[in-house]
Amino acid sequence: MHKLTIIIENKPHEVEVTPSRTTPGEYAVIVDGEPRTVFVPDYDNPELADWMIVDDRPYELLFSPDMRVAQIYTGRYDVQVRDKEVGTARPASGDGRIKAPIPGLVTHLHVEPGQLVEVGQPLLVLEAMKMENEIRSPIRGAVHQIAVKLGQSVTLGELMAEIR
Amino acid sequence: MFKKILIANRGEIATRIIRTCREMGILTVALYTAADRDSLHVRLADEVRMLHSPNRYGDADEVLAIAKATGAEAIHPGYGFLAEEAGFVERCAAEGIVFIGPSPAVIRTLRNKMEAMETVKRAGYRVPLYADLTDAGADEAGLLRAAAEVGYPLVVKSARGGRGRGARVVMRADKLVEAARAARHEAELIYGDDHLFLEKVVAPSHYLAVQVLADAHGNVVHLGEREGSLLRHNQKLIEESPSPSLNDTQRTAIWQAAVDIARLFNFQNTGAVEFLVDGAGNFHFTEMKARIQIEHGVSEMISGMDIVREQIRIAAGEPVSRTQDQIRLEGWAMQCRINAEDPWNDYLPSPGRLTRFRIPQGPSVRVDTYGYVGCAIPERFDPLLANLLVRASDRAMCISRLRRALMEFRVVGVQTNVALHKQIIQHPAFVSGKYDTNFMARFRFDVSATTSQEVCRDLVAMTAVTYLLRRRVGEPVVPERVKSGWHRSARRLPS
Repeated sequence: MHKLTIIIENKPHEVEVTPSRTTPGEYAVIVDGEPRTVFVPDYDNPELADWMIVDDRPYELLFSPDMRVAQIYTGRYDVQVRDKEVGTARPASGDGRIKAPIPGLVTHLHVEPGQLVEVGQPLLVLEAMKMENEIRSPIRGAVHQIAVKLGQSVTLGELMAEIR
Repeated sequence: MFKKILIANRGEIATRIIRTCREMGILTVALYTAADRDSLHVRLADEVRMLHSPNRYGDADEVLAIAKATGAEAIHPGYGFLAEEAGFVERCAAEGIVFIGPSPAVIRTLRNKMEAMETVKRAGYRVPLYADLTDAGADEAGLLRAAAEVGYPLVVKSARGGRGRGARVVMRADKLVEAARAARHEAELIYGDDHLFLEKVVAPSHYLAVQVLADAHGNVVHLGEREGSLLRHNQKLIEESPSPSLNDTQRTAIWQAAVDIARLFNFQNTGAVEFLVDGAGNFHFTEMKARIQIEHGVSEMISGMDIVREQIRIAAGEPVSRTQDQIRLEGWAMQCRINAEDPWNDYLPSPGRLTRFRIPQGPSVRVDTYGYVGCAIPERFDPLLANLLVRASDRAMCISRLRRALMEFRVVGVQTNVALHKQIIQHPAFVSGKYDTNFMARFRFDVSATTSQEVCRDLVAMTAVTYLLRRRVGEPVVPERVKSGWHRSARRLPS
């Protein structure tokens, strides 16, 4: 179950999303306490997921790539997504290589090469979709390299730092 | 009848022409540039040749060379580019290639808009008040004097131009000099000719055009009138036929005038006689367009005629396929010009690649487009993406159908002005049929989106699901043992 705050035209809404265990593509969603069922017909290809059924209402929808603008039949809306679970570093391998979990912008660098870090220590901050994701070290060790610069855009999976 | 025709154009009109050629069993040669190599008109043609000249579709030399090399017996110019270049027509004739359009003399005459107005005026028809600005370096005093004679508001127009470009409306004398300077510069840039004239603005008014067909045997017929008063940047956004602003007497009069005027110019092939209708119901001839128009489909839907087919027949020496008595104008038709532009962002052009392109279909719906899923919408050319046409037995049904068709039109990959059209056709002035050229001047695209609470929550739910779907795709594959070690107690940074 994921908790998010979604802001539409500057009004925030609290959301809880639980993927169905039985039906792929179906989600139980609670918006401001009101339940809804969302079904995504193209669930295995999110690129094509441009239409959904909410309860019994079909919608064709469009999101800008950065998910800041949404468009449905009633018009166009400014959107912000706040993920309540702060994104943390999920390294693709156990060996201390820190790869970008989402595409974004490096807005803070907390450590330097050679510095000793503990498990969970913040290394850098990645900004994406109007959220700041603090990337923390998964292991105890020394910062072997910082592969990014302040203000650099990183793509998904790009190597940002390495702890050994 | 021709065996092979070269289409000296691109995009939507080239596709349109190829379709009719195929129906007539005529082979087609299409042209393309590197920018629109994957365009639909290229895929549908029988033979294709690339243009290398920087002048692209306007390069007479290259076009003619290709026509000769491919053995094309005729050239269809579409609209724009070489469609109204008398010199090009003469060169075609010199090469023994038939130009599908009027003669060079007629093209020359009609391109000189003031001369055309004089001819029509002498024949007893009304024309707007105008003043020639012969001297390109006309001094300010002369300019202001000419303007004073015409009166304000007026429009500074290119004496040679067309398709609404290079024209500037001037409301007051203090704006005149700057407008004239800008218009002169633009006219020089676009047409290579900075000859301008001033024309009195008839406002509010109705822009009407009567489609005519004339063959070499002396037959001239009309396919009814179209109303194109909803203009944005001098482009007709929505056209309809018949015009809701005329009564039957006016209608018959304007049809007759159009046919007479076409005869006056010894016109051949297809064209549109354009008029302004003022508040008192008087119509004023403004110009005659000596080529097929973007909005020709509207007249086709009302009359059941294929204008491109008639053009080819006329050029091949055959008569128009129906007499006026045999032409029945029935029902109502409307056309929306769908542009690749963003109404929420000041209509900025929106080039890109189409990832979804679902055009409306069903009864009496026609879409003329060069778009298809996967095709590139290039930056360089006109933002016109598609013409959406609908036909119905009456106007109210036509609007319903158009509304339905717009709702069905789905384009992903570029922004379009579909939302703009939806708002226009729901406006009371449009619905009542009582609109004129003031409508678009006053119309403001509503960027706000009012939503019921239910729809708002639906949107929130869908946004949440979309976000998670996209994040899930973005998640690296993580072995289970590593997952268990990471920290979820991290603090949110203050914003």
